[in-house]
Amino acid sequence: MLAFSIRRILVAIPTLLIVLTITFVLIRIAPGDPAEVRLGDYASKEAVEALRRQMGLDRSMWVQYLEALKGLVQADFGRSIINGRPISGDLKRALPYTIQLTLFGIMFGVLFGIPTGVYSALRRNTLTDYIGRTLSLGGLSIPSFYLGILLMLVFSIHIPLFPVVGGGDIHDLADNLYHLFLPGLTLGLVMTAYVTRMTRSSVLNTLNEDFIRTARAKGLSERKVIYKHLLRNALLSIVALIGVYSIILTGGSVMVEIVFSRPGLGRMMIGALKQRDYTTLQAVMIVFATFVVLINLIADLLYGLVDPRVRRK
Amino acid sequence: MKTLRPALTIVILIGVLLCFGVQPTSAAKDNVLRIAFDAADITDLHPHFAHTTQDRGVVHLIFNGLVRYKTGDIGKFVPDLAESWEVSRDGLTWTFHLRKGVMVHPWKNNPGYELTSEDVVYSFTSAADKNKSAWAVEYAGMQFKAIDQYTVQVILEKPLSELLFLPKMADYAGGLIIPKKAVEDLGEGFKSHPVGTGPFVFKKYLPKEKAITVRNEKFYRGTPKLDGVEVFYMPDMSSRKFGLQSKELDVIEGPPSQPWVDEMRALRGVEVDVFGPGEAGVLYFNMAKKPFDDIRVRRAIAYALSRDEVVTTIGKAIADPVFSQIPQPQPGYLTRDEVLLRGKMDGKDYLYEVDRNKAKKLLSDAGFPKGLKTTVFMTERGEYAVPFQNIVAQLREAGIDVKVTVVDHPTYHHNIRADMNPIVEYNCWRPTADVRLTHFHHSDSIVKTGKKPVTNFMHLGEKDADGDGKVDSVDYQIEVARDLLDSGAQKAVWKETQFKLLDWCVSYPLFIKKFTFARRNNVQWGYDLTSTLILSPQINELTSIK
Repeated sequence: MLAFSIRRILVAIPTLLIVLTITFVLIRIAPGDPAEVRLGDYASKEAVEALRRQMGLDRSMWVQYLEALKGLVQADFGRSIINGRPISGDLKRALPYTIQLTLFGIMFGVLFGIPTGVYSALRRNTLTDYIGRTLSLGGLSIPSFYLGILLMLVFSIHIPLFPVVGGGDIHDLADNLYHLFLPGLTLGLVMTAYVTRMTRSSVLNTLNEDFIRTARAKGLSERKVIYKHLLRNALLSIVALIGVYSIILTGGSVMVEIVFSRPGLGRMMIGALKQRDYTTLQAVMIVFATFVVLINLIADLLYGLVDPRVRRK
Repeated sequence: MKTLRPALTIVILIGVLLCFGVQPTSAAKDNVLRIAFDAADITDLHPHFAHTTQDRGVVHLIFNGLVRYKTGDIGKFVPDLAESWEVSRDGLTWTFHLRKGVMVHPWKNNPGYELTSEDVVYSFTSAADKNKSAWAVEYAGMQFKAIDQYTVQVILEKPLSELLFLPKMADYAGGLIIPKKAVEDLGEGFKSHPVGTGPFVFKKYLPKEKAITVRNEKFYRGTPKLDGVEVFYMPDMSSRKFGLQSKELDVIEGPPSQPWVDEMRALRGVEVDVFGPGEAGVLYFNMAKKPFDDIRVRRAIAYALSRDEVVTTIGKAIADPVFSQIPQPQPGYLTRDEVLLRGKMDGKDYLYEVDRNKAKKLLSDAGFPKGLKTTVFMTERGEYAVPFQNIVAQLREAGIDVKVTVVDHPTYHHNIRADMNPIVEYNCWRPTADVRLTHFHHSDSIVKTGKKPVTNFMHLGEKDADGDGKVDSVDYQIEVARDLLDSGAQKAVWKETQFKLLDWCVSYPLFIKKFTFARRNNVQWGYDLTSTLILSPQINELTSIK
């Protein structure tokens, strides 16, 4: 398992390199200049040129690219070219907000999606199944930012239970959870919809397998059939797909962070994009890519845990 | 059902945690004002670089100028860090007498110190340095001298009228005084931890979330009524509205949109401030691109447009028509009656009131009997895009088909400065008429090719504007007006210049759009909010929460 993990981590290196290169090139191809953004529309061309020199943007693209590569290797993202703050400091502050939001969403989705999917599959074509399917389809259809606004309207305005502004104090657990609940619920409901649908179809596929029929023929209790035979086998594809959907969810967290004004990576990314903050945007994209690589790795490791055959290979 | 038991247990646990672990939301009970801007984050809190509304919202809590625009009304100057000032007979030397006992805020391990002429000279010298300021051009040719601890002299190369000089010394942009020791001590950190002399002391900045300030107990104009101000960055309009409704926020920035104003006014306990000076929306025609080099085409566009329709689209509560390049209430602007009357006297039409038949005839005369087509870039920002959609619809009725490519805001600014648009919509406020005329109409300011390219999108001063085959320019008039010391004469020259611009139809002034903020009705500004140059309500020692 260790060798497997190391191999996967090594594979991540070219992935991160590609992400850095694409981000580096795309943001520089896009019209708009960080110096113009920082100085505003009032500034003279002369002042803009002076600031470009200060920002190091007058150097060749290759020099800038090699510097970005060096930063990646040394895990030092340097300073924001717009506000001059160390990017690692801003990342350090933003990361926990995004991680807790995504984790909350994934956990919520798994905790509610798997039982609902199993329940729905076991009662196929009953009223309960139809309700479950309709709700999960609704969850898939509704954009996360819109769902967030609806939840805010209900649970912050009409029933004033939860706050709408900010991510809470990261050092105060109660305050943090208090601010996390609604955005987490937003992502969690979307994830629940994904997980419910794939669990249902995976369980339905497994239900038709011979070993389930054999287990029932042996006279095993329904509980044993479900837990020991059905779920264990159905979980294989569920775990793989949860990995994929978690990555989609990470992307969805950007909009949810904006709607709930959480100071996470999504906010950082959009801000950097609008301000043409090249260095910050590169760093955020690398962190997002690392996120994706890690989630994939975790999914693969879980896959090995769930299926002994994978471990043996 | 048994299979669901673990999940149900977790649901109940979460429910219990939520019931006992958190409290329902409620209005903040402290005496801190919370204001949210339509922004993802700060850009720069150094006052000589800060230019966005959200940055100025913080900067103006912290810094002061030698003089200040009267709070809430930019029509008057009153003393601030300087108690008084006088100008020499030749108009070249301005002497400012500083207020004594003004304390610089404490920072790091420094308890603060008394602001003196050394700081003022340092601040203006820095503002005049293009490497240290975005406003350097405004202070070119000025010298700053400390006569004694509380006296500062500003020596000019050429005399300037009070109308043009005092804005440079006022509490705006380069005129905001930065304390020497704090800037030198904090270095690069100064732009995210500003230190000044204002009513609020910068305490903390939480990236992408908020800036926190606390009351300056030693503020020289009196102790502020608020304990502090927190400035939030919230780019989502719905979140800001919900924050105001849930009373987590006291003031929010709104879009310049009539439906938003109406919606907010309908909320209980909420009031909306609509204030100026506003941003003037003007269409600039690029004479370097055919067929806009033809005065008949430009006039056809002007006649195809109804200012009232554009104003109605933006919202009558927040926009007014403008009839000259210098918008009201800036000294030098033209009223509708002035434009109408002067047109009659000259036997010309400077108003260009909507007449689409005339527009079609002009197009036909210019060789476009079937109308014309053009392509422009337009920003995705609503304050530009909304009026422009109406402009496009109106032009279509006159046979002018404008294809719009929507881009993000930095791309739009880049493209128009790269001379890519045949027609440019530009919405802005400039501190003086001279700045506006220079930046938009002087030949030095021609985009790409000017000596100091800024925003002369029309190529005025490089192209023939009236169709007589000779290059037309208003450089001379702009420079003459700048050198006049008599404000009345200065205004007269600016007005004359604008009649020329209207006659040539190189640009078409359309509207002035005011700023909109909503607040809880327990927030009292402490002054009448008519206009403010920082484009958001000024929060000062008089502001309170009842």
